[in-house]
Amino acid sequence: MPSATLLGQALISGVLAGGMYGLLGLGLSLSWGLLRLVNLSHFALAFLAAYLTYELGTNYHVAPWWSAAMVVPAMFAIGLLQHWLFDKFRVNELASLLITFSFAIILEVAIQLYWTADYRRFETHYSTLSIKAGPFYIPVLELVLCTVAGVLAWGTWLWLRRTYVGKALRAAAEDADIAAAYGVDHKKLAYLLSGLGAAYAGVAGTFIALIATLAPAQIWTWLGVVFAVVIIGRLGNPLGALFAGFLIGASESLAMAVFSPAWAPVVSFSVLIAILLWNPEWA
Amino acid sequence: MLLEARNLHVGYGDAPAIWDVSLDVDAGEIVSVIGPNGAGKTTLINAMAGLLRCRQGTLSFDGQDMTRVRAHDYCGHGIALVPEGRRLFVKMSVEENLELGCYLPAARSHRSQSLERVFTLFPILRDKRRQPAGELSGGQQQMVAIGRALMARPRIVLFDEPSLGLAPTIVDDMFDIIARVRAEGAAVLLVEQNVLKALEVADRAYVLEQGRIVSSGLPDALLEQPHIREAYLGV
Repeated sequence: MPSATLLGQALISGVLAGGMYGLLGLGLSLSWGLLRLVNLSHFALAFLAAYLTYELGTNYHVAPWWSAAMVVPAMFAIGLLQHWLFDKFRVNELASLLITFSFAIILEVAIQLYWTADYRRFETHYSTLSIKAGPFYIPVLELVLCTVAGVLAWGTWLWLRRTYVGKALRAAAEDADIAAAYGVDHKKLAYLLSGLGAAYAGVAGTFIALIATLAPAQIWTWLGVVFAVVIIGRLGNPLGALFAGFLIGASESLAMAVFSPAWAPVVSFSVLIAILLWNPEWA
Repeated sequence: MLLEARNLHVGYGDAPAIWDVSLDVDAGEIVSVIGPNGAGKTTLINAMAGLLRCRQGTLSFDGQDMTRVRAHDYCGHGIALVPEGRRLFVKMSVEENLELGCYLPAARSHRSQSLERVFTLFPILRDKRRQPAGELSGGQQQMVAIGRALMARPRIVLFDEPSLGLAPTIVDDMFDIIARVRAEGAAVLLVEQNVLKALEVADRAYVLEQGRIVSSGLPDALLEQPHIREAYLGV
């Protein structure tokens, strides 16, 4: 059994790593839960944003917060474009899975053509900064990521609960015809939500550029775990996705510390299966 | 005329469900459409609500052609639907369901006033406003469905089988409510299987059978017709 300090550090690192799961899960959960579109290319969009942040930072010395100010709106526009295709071809839930899978592959190949398959690392002087709290180290970048993820998740949750547009989106997810009978233009709102989801992928991508080493095949790294996260957090629930991210991040990290790193991938789906056994109606 | 349908044909896929239906509702009127199961009553009302496209014929509301109006613009013209089976947003709270009724800006600006009106009409909903609509009893859910329609400040309310699946005592209340809705200024188009009740509350009525209007007139006159007495009242 590892020491208490090691376990505590594992817990902190795990929760912070879970912030990335939550941030990536946010957009996925919204489009899956509220539009019934499963967007596998969400991860590829995040990596496209990460590569753009890397490119702007490395070759043009643009600070990541300035590149985010360009990349995030660009991602919003890509989200709109993607939704235009869904709309035009009347894509349903299952078809969306296949089509966005192909989008993801196209993006992966495009990234590989431009940036090659070499590993890329966006070096910044603050990438290794950390705060020392007692015996524990808290990496600053991950802390900022979790704060941003928290603000976005909380804000989105409030938006869905408190505003008419948010309520209309939730109503249309339950019964689109009746929502329309009361004036909800679901098509228009769906564009907004798709743009928003892609913009969140852009935010995640900015942090991926700062935290991770980039390679085209990496777009698939988080797929499984983030899928588990959005289901555990309940589809369409942004705060749920965030907390499920923290939960899975912490569990993975503890499993790595207590057993061995090889056990980490088992954790997310074990938690998911346990929850679904306990309550099959969960998601 | 407030609502005027002329020679409407409406259907799903290739099969038309109603043929050549002409029907009027004037301002302040309660008009009932009676008919057996599968006669096309829900099809008719969904077409009036904009949820189904008319293949032929014209539908006009307050003199305006509605056949090219998009589904989500019907409500803004003053048409509100109380659908069959209520179709509430069951995961959302009672209050949120009502708020959806006043989603459009014109109705939204009267939100608190309309909400107060609905709570006066259905006091029980005030206590249950924070509960998910799906947890309410059938009668209470029907109140939410009617309240949602009233929140839109409609000029006509379309009721689709409001008594379906409700306990007999609550059915009487529902028909009282329909009369109240009219008393407060909206016209009512009601489709119902409960023939006696539907005729009792109506100013005029139509009989829809196998997708066609087979008879129409004043409720008392319809009740005199041998066919109606035999087919619907069993006497």
